[in-house]
Amino acid sequence: MAKFIVIGERIHCISPVIKKAMDERDPAPILKRAKEQLDAGADYLDVNIGPAEKGGDELMKWAVQLLQSEFDGVPLCLDTANRRAIEAGISVYDRSKGKPIVNSADAGDRIENIDLAAANDAVCLALCSKAGVPSDNDERMGYCQELLERGMSLGMDPDDIWFDPLFLVIKGMQDKQMEMLEFIRMLSDMGLKSTGGLSNVSNMMPKNIRPIMDSAMAAMAICMGLTSAIVNPCDLRLMETVRSCDVIRNNTLYADSYLEL
Amino acid sequence: MALKGLDIFKLTPKTNCKDCGNPTCMAFAMKVAQGAVELDKCPHMSEEAKAQLGDATAPPMKKFTIGAGDGVCALGGETVLFRHDKTFVSKNLYAINVCEGSYDEKLPEIQKVDYDRLGERMYVELLNLQFTGDAGKYAELVGKAQGAGRCLILECQDAAAARAALEICAASKPLLNGANAGNCAEFSALAKEFGVALGVSGASLDELYDTAAQLEKLGNKELVLDVGSASVKDAFAAAVQIRRAALRDNDRVFGYPSLINLAKLAPGDEYLQTALASLFTLKYGSIIVMEKMTYAQALPLYGLRQNIYTDPQKPMKVEPGIYPLNGADADALCVTTVDFALTYFVVSGELERSGVPLNLLISDAGGYSVLTAWAAGKLSASSIAKFIGEFEIENKISNRTLVIPGKVAVLKGEIEEKLPGWTVVVAPNEAVELVKFFKEYKAG
Amino acid sequence: MAFKAAQQKFTAKINETTVGTGERAISLGGENAFPFYSFDAPVENSPKIGIEIHDSGHYAGVPGMDAYYAGADTLAETARRAAAVEGVDFLAVSFDGAHPDSGDRSVEDCVEAIKEIADAVDIPIVIEGSKSVDKDAKLLDKISEALSGRNILVMSAREENYKSIAASAGLAYSQKISAESAVDINLAKQLNVLISQMGVKSENTVMNLGSAAAGYGFEYVASTIDRVKAAALAQNDTMLQMPIVTPVGAEAWTVKEAIVSEEDFPEWGPMEIRGINMEVSTAAACLAAGSNAVILRHPESVKAVSRLVKALI
Repeated sequence: MAKFIVIGERIHCISPVIKKAMDERDPAPILKRAKEQLDAGADYLDVNIGPAEKGGDELMKWAVQLLQSEFDGVPLCLDTANRRAIEAGISVYDRSKGKPIVNSADAGDRIENIDLAAANDAVCLALCSKAGVPSDNDERMGYCQELLERGMSLGMDPDDIWFDPLFLVIKGMQDKQMEMLEFIRMLSDMGLKSTGGLSNVSNMMPKNIRPIMDSAMAAMAICMGLTSAIVNPCDLRLMETVRSCDVIRNNTLYADSYLEL
Repeated sequence: MALKGLDIFKLTPKTNCKDCGNPTCMAFAMKVAQGAVELDKCPHMSEEAKAQLGDATAPPMKKFTIGAGDGVCALGGETVLFRHDKTFVSKNLYAINVCEGSYDEKLPEIQKVDYDRLGERMYVELLNLQFTGDAGKYAELVGKAQGAGRCLILECQDAAAARAALEICAASKPLLNGANAGNCAEFSALAKEFGVALGVSGASLDELYDTAAQLEKLGNKELVLDVGSASVKDAFAAAVQIRRAALRDNDRVFGYPSLINLAKLAPGDEYLQTALASLFTLKYGSIIVMEKMTYAQALPLYGLRQNIYTDPQKPMKVEPGIYPLNGADADALCVTTVDFALTYFVVSGELERSGVPLNLLISDAGGYSVLTAWAAGKLSASSIAKFIGEFEIENKISNRTLVIPGKVAVLKGEIEEKLPGWTVVVAPNEAVELVKFFKEYKAG
Repeated sequence: MAFKAAQQKFTAKINETTVGTGERAISLGGENAFPFYSFDAPVENSPKIGIEIHDSGHYAGVPGMDAYYAGADTLAETARRAAAVEGVDFLAVSFDGAHPDSGDRSVEDCVEAIKEIADAVDIPIVIEGSKSVDKDAKLLDKISEALSGRNILVMSAREENYKSIAASAGLAYSQKISAESAVDINLAKQLNVLISQMGVKSENTVMNLGSAAAGYGFEYVASTIDRVKAAALAQNDTMLQMPIVTPVGAEAWTVKEAIVSEEDFPEWGPMEIRGINMEVSTAAACLAAGSNAVILRHPESVKAVSRLVKALI
């Protein structure tokens, strides 16, 4: 079994510091956040440049080259609604440490991102939704099938499509959590990989609660077969949980110092 | 090649009816592709589709037997490349190469090595009868070898000679190792006519692959893939790639056992043959042909094979009983430990090195190591007392001192209570300290 | 329809560790494939073979070894003879005579001896220690100091004494060190972590994962090495990417098959032949599982295993 993959979410244009750095092409704040996340154990870094309708392709190229040259080809997850920006990012992407991830496709108007990933030999995050939150697992599975069929008919290896079950906020959708977890089990039974914005579950909870809730969700979801998540790797409790789960799932060999590695 | 999920999905009704228990036809197809679900769970699959997909659910490596009666030997059926993933299924078999000139001389040597190790009979299971050009003499050899009580391999690429040999020995289900790219139709027919497994070789891995595929098409279901004798390096590469293609890549054409002929790969070099036989025991040899099998070779090779093919979940056990060491008689000191084979071997080895005559008493401790057995209640004062009673130790041995493992020193008092007249002595914790302990004990 | 050979490509690889100096220096590891899988990737460095000598005298009572070392009355001469065996890549010196229970040779004597040995041979030197944890801490420190600059490999950094060995041999004298565990995969990894946390670079360490003779629980050895290599290559576990050095002779020559006399077991044949087969079989199995070097005792075993390695590379 492969180790759980942590995609660091902190390079996001919703953060004013990052937004400003992106606008001004100022490397320092971006590199600082990247380093924090990598030191904390992130495997991939998500690079969210926002909708970036104007100049998105140049911005993505700049960010990809900046991060990969500074951090020895660190693998990246290219996150924007601007398809041309993703393609531009891939055009300068160094694959030595892993394929680029296209973030993301869904079964709705972003379905063509699957085609983009297939054409560029990239991994594609695939949201099992069309518009809004799927009402039940039948609906999720329907979208999963649509996305999977499309990807495979374009020659993609199913391993390169990482399905997002859509983590739901607990405050408001407490009764839907177990069904979502059950869906992860279904994906896992089909031999498919999965990922998602896990910390969404603790949205609107007090700051001191969030790491606890995220860790519990991580443990339960990993037990169901979740293979990756987009999270804040600087959350120590969460990362300790992930590492412990990797040991329990026999994804990594135990040593007394496993948390320090 | 196994089918991909998408190929299977295309053949499903695509109705998402859930009659198979899966939410969608795609989910079902993906599970079938992984071997997690049987195809017939879908009640709506057409016969045609089932036939097309049947191969996808077949096991990755065929399992069958050669030989008859007591000499039946199992081959194949492996599902994993590494033993820590799952137990290996069919242990590698040893064959000795003989031809008409060497048979009479070799047979007594072959028969000499025949012993028991932890309940398993260790002997040369097969004779590889090498055809050297004279059909008459070959038939004579086959006739003689039939009485040797070993399963036979007919290494013969001459169809006429092979037919004559099969007419003599087909009933004992030999392996006919003779098919190649040039004669495959003829040998396919021969093997089918006489109902025997067929060995196949090729000048290259590609040729071997094509010939095996052809034979399969012709209806030969039991094949053995000869890795060839061009070089050790090529033979090893072939053995690994064949097994890996079958188990990892689901390539059914190579889903058969292998044959490695060390008599050809390392002729005249006993030690190199020992080395290579060890290598192929770990990495994917099914039948290993040697020039000879002396005790000196058999002891490590059969021991290694027994280790590698042991079930990781099931410990190897030795039979409970009295094991006199270093010429021990009824007066010799008694020592006890558990029946876990590894413990037994380590402890008995050290005790033998001490040179002190000792009666090693092995009781049934469930095949666990000392501390585990103690914790599980399998090694206790009662279990030892029971053993002493059941095996009538007091009638057989006059010495009344019992040495127990240091790790269960706590049992001393209890054992002495249960066994009046006995003195219990506590040995060191570690086996490596035993030699010194017993030498000093003996000295006074 | 030709065979489609699917290669197994790993992006991670085993560290390359160099022992010795000059022309005879050896490199261990460096591969990014399973052992001898040259069809997946070129074998960077062929596995290496060491010959073991003992400060307590050569392993006596074996006619062929007695004959080979006959007349060698100093350790230096024994070392020279050992180094001359065809196929030998390095010399392993076991200071079993320094163990408090079997000779208790003084550290000063051992240092004198190793200096003479080092002057006598130009092949890389591996120090096996006395098997006493306490004695080794001091002994290995002084030997590392005495052989500064020879880039020796110091075995036997165990859970109990790794700190002193890492600090002296590893850091103060820049020698190579080997973390020793006994067929315990979690401890093997943990020792590597601890040693690296002390500041010893990964490329300066190797692992001795322990061994067992063929038939004596070798399944544990095989699975331990298999799992270590799988973690190193497939999971890129950097704390398991050190080359593996396996002392085989000590295991092979102490089991019943190799020590009982022909008088007691006439059907088994000469003891020496049994011992060599046991040593060769165990070594071949270790190499097949993934050892990057094996340490052997009998010159015939060294030659045979060397033929095996040549045939496979």
